[in-house]
Amino acid sequence: MVFSLGTEVVFLVVCLPFLAAALVRPVYGVLGERTGYAGAAVALVCFGLLLTQLGTEAAVSIPWIPALDVSLRLYVDGWALLFALLASGIGALVFTYSVGYMHGESGLVGYYGALLAFMGSILGVALSADLIALFLFWELTSVCSFLLIGHHTEEASSRYAARMAMVVTVGGGLFVLVGFLALFVVSGSALGTETFSLVAMLEEPEAMRAALREAGLFVPALFLVAVGAASKSAQVPLHFWLPNAMEAPTPVSAFLHSATMVKVGVYLVGRLRPLLESSEWMLLFATLGLATMTITAMLAVAATDIKELLAYSTASHLGLMIAGFGFTVPYGAEAGVFHLLNHALFKAPLFLVAGIVSHEVGTRRIDELGGLRHDLPVTALITAVAALGMAGFPPFNGFYSKELLFEAAYEVAHAAGGLAWLYPVVAVFASVFTVLYSLRFLALFFGARPDGLGTVHRPPLTLLVPPAVLAAVAALVGIDPQFAVDSFVGWAVEPTALEAHEMHAGLPTSLSPPVAMSVAAIGLGAVAYPFYAGVRDAVRTLASVRVLRPNWWYDAALAGLDSGSARLIPTIQNGLLRTSVTWMLAATSALALAGYAVAGVSIPAYDGVGVSLPIVLVLVVAVAVTIAVAVAPSHIAGVLTVSILGVMIAVFYVLASAPDLALTQLVVETLALLVFLLVLEEVPEFYGNIDRRVAFRDVGLSVVVGATVFLTVLLTTRTPPGGGESIARYFTEQAVPGGGGTNVVNVILVDFRGFDTLGEITVIAIAAVAVLVLMTVRDGGDAT
Amino acid sequence: MTAFVLATVLGILFAAGTFLLLRRDVLRIVWGVTVLSQAANVYLMTMGGIVEPSADGVPVLAGHGEHVPQTTDPLVQALVLTAIVISFAMTAFALVLTYRVYQEHSTLDTTTLEGEP
Repeated sequence: MVFSLGTEVVFLVVCLPFLAAALVRPVYGVLGERTGYAGAAVALVCFGLLLTQLGTEAAVSIPWIPALDVSLRLYVDGWALLFALLASGIGALVFTYSVGYMHGESGLVGYYGALLAFMGSILGVALSADLIALFLFWELTSVCSFLLIGHHTEEASSRYAARMAMVVTVGGGLFVLVGFLALFVVSGSALGTETFSLVAMLEEPEAMRAALREAGLFVPALFLVAVGAASKSAQVPLHFWLPNAMEAPTPVSAFLHSATMVKVGVYLVGRLRPLLESSEWMLLFATLGLATMTITAMLAVAATDIKELLAYSTASHLGLMIAGFGFTVPYGAEAGVFHLLNHALFKAPLFLVAGIVSHEVGTRRIDELGGLRHDLPVTALITAVAALGMAGFPPFNGFYSKELLFEAAYEVAHAAGGLAWLYPVVAVFASVFTVLYSLRFLALFFGARPDGLGTVHRPPLTLLVPPAVLAAVAALVGIDPQFAVDSFVGWAVEPTALEAHEMHAGLPTSLSPPVAMSVAAIGLGAVAYPFYAGVRDAVRTLASVRVLRPNWWYDAALAGLDSGSARLIPTIQNGLLRTSVTWMLAATSALALAGYAVAGVSIPAYDGVGVSLPIVLVLVVAVAVTIAVAVAPSHIAGVLTVSILGVMIAVFYVLASAPDLALTQLVVETLALLVFLLVLEEVPEFYGNIDRRVAFRDVGLSVVVGATVFLTVLLTTRTPPGGGESIARYFTEQAVPGGGGTNVVNVILVDFRGFDTLGEITVIAIAAVAVLVLMTVRDGGDAT
Repeated sequence: MTAFVLATVLGILFAAGTFLLLRRDVLRIVWGVTVLSQAANVYLMTMGGIVEPSADGVPVLAGHGEHVPQTTDPLVQALVLTAIVISFAMTAFALVLTYRVYQEHSTLDTTTLEGEP
């Protein structure tokens, strides 16, 4: 394994936040509330280390599970670096902001720990080039998000929102896992060896696509990845968890639920774009993205709370990025990547502004706010830059990336014609709503100041500097977008692009159709703004229809699961042992048999007895004795026949070259017989009679279990395990030099696997103590 | 070599064990557990491959291990040995439990035992 010099620092970048998360408690003991600054320092170190990798494209890996070719493989390229830099950069600002915002709150150790772990996970997602590692980091971000949304554990709404986010995003993650496994399965025929390496797959996209199609897995894999990405990136109809996630403290909303975690889905879509690009890809993602963009933009207009407005708006912009990556024209990828950057630059400060407003004014209700520019002049300036970027007004940063989307939509429609013209139309329609809610947010700072508003404090510097930094960068991108493209964004687009294309961004010089689309969106938005209340009420009426609300479906599904379980449990667990046994064994057999049927196994042909005559004779006696046990008329007959069975098994061990087992078995059988006889003396001779109907059913189940076992034994012994020989051989060869004994089984028990034996002895000891206690505590256990 | 004979025997053993598990007499349930664990041990041995006894096949080395022959799988035997001892512990515990259940409730019939709080 050869490290290309310098790239291995990305391991440090991923590990550092986790390490810091583990150290939060002692650090908090020293620094107290200023722990946030330490977190910001960690984020800055990561940011700095990542900056050294600018312009690099390299992979580094350390083996993890070599037998499955799973390794912690990290990969640096423009797209990964853009995402990682955003995560660490905004992370640093959010940690700083948290110091001011979380002042006086409890549970800060958990808060900073989860935030740091989250940053490590998100950096892991950005830099992973191994599907398994990527999946693990992906799910880790969901877990951290769960912890952070539920920060106020004492509030029911927090717990509800945290659980909802967990169910939706982790559930979606499982879809992604299955999709990844599909990629893994076909990688064998496409690349020569089965691999989880994303880098290897991305090098041969055509071969991978052909192999996927041949296996009939292309559309399923595409669909599975889409479901996962949609759940994480809050696409319709899985968008409902995001507004609920606003229960989290505002810095968390800014960091996780606008700038980074929700973009993981978008990131994956961009990453897999060259691999899965096809007509199905475009149909799926362009439609999904534009539908989300429209529906959630409308819902943002209907919002009553500023964080709710921003949450829906985030989902809408994520839809824009997904749609951008969906369009398989060069402008598409450019729109997706550039908007990912721009959105982080304008949405994170808007969330931080929302935090300032709720912190300093005391309310987040849109109707109660207005005219805040007098009290919060700097905040108003930040909001103006960010909100106009969000609306897509030139010359603010959001304009350029949205213009790229319009160009992509127009180009696709122009080439395909027909129904494809819906793409640009819907894009403009959605943008009208974007303009509407952006202006509404901006209006919080303008117009008349409502009388009900109390005194408004000036925010401290820790609250003001982070959004100001982000808004300043956003403004710079807006002033000179071509500089941003040339220096960084163009390079970040490359890994997601399908063909080389010179990227341009700037103010339009002529009225091309896409420019006309922008003009139409801004114009219609401005014209419609005076009728905002009417539009809002219309959307609210529409959104209040129950079946149109995914949130209602979620609640109904959870309630249904609850009541369904409550009804089912008395049936399968009614307190009777035979009921539990019946369900468990029947289910196990059914699953095993169904598995064999699905795998299409064939029963091996009969190829002789396979064992010597003495063994056959012993086994015949064993079977006869076992049947005698099953139908034993009395306890004493049963105990004796069980004992004969044990002795027969001991003889079998002798004949199967296992003298140690035979000795042990004989000793154990003798002891067991003694215990049986002691107990028999004390209990009645009874219960042999069986109801005919019950017996019939029980025999039926027994036959099914027996048949399953028969089939399983046949299939599992057909070919001896490949790796089994080597370990057996290892123990035999090492017995004398490694363990100093010639009886290999004994050496394994007391030396090589000594801890297993310790466990075994512990079990015996526990059983002995339990027996002793049972025999000595005599009066029903309530002796006190 | 496919183990048809052993597969048949194991199928019958497991079927009989299941039948016993479904009885209402607690003592017969204990027999069922015993039969099932015996069967499971034999299954483990089968997985390792059955080799007829010979000086070289038994995993006990002659002399001081100068010559290491191709023996049967010693690891499976170690596993089964552990399993035998543990199943004895379990049987003993289950039997004492049976005895105490009878002392407390004067019955070993699971269907009447369940009714009590």
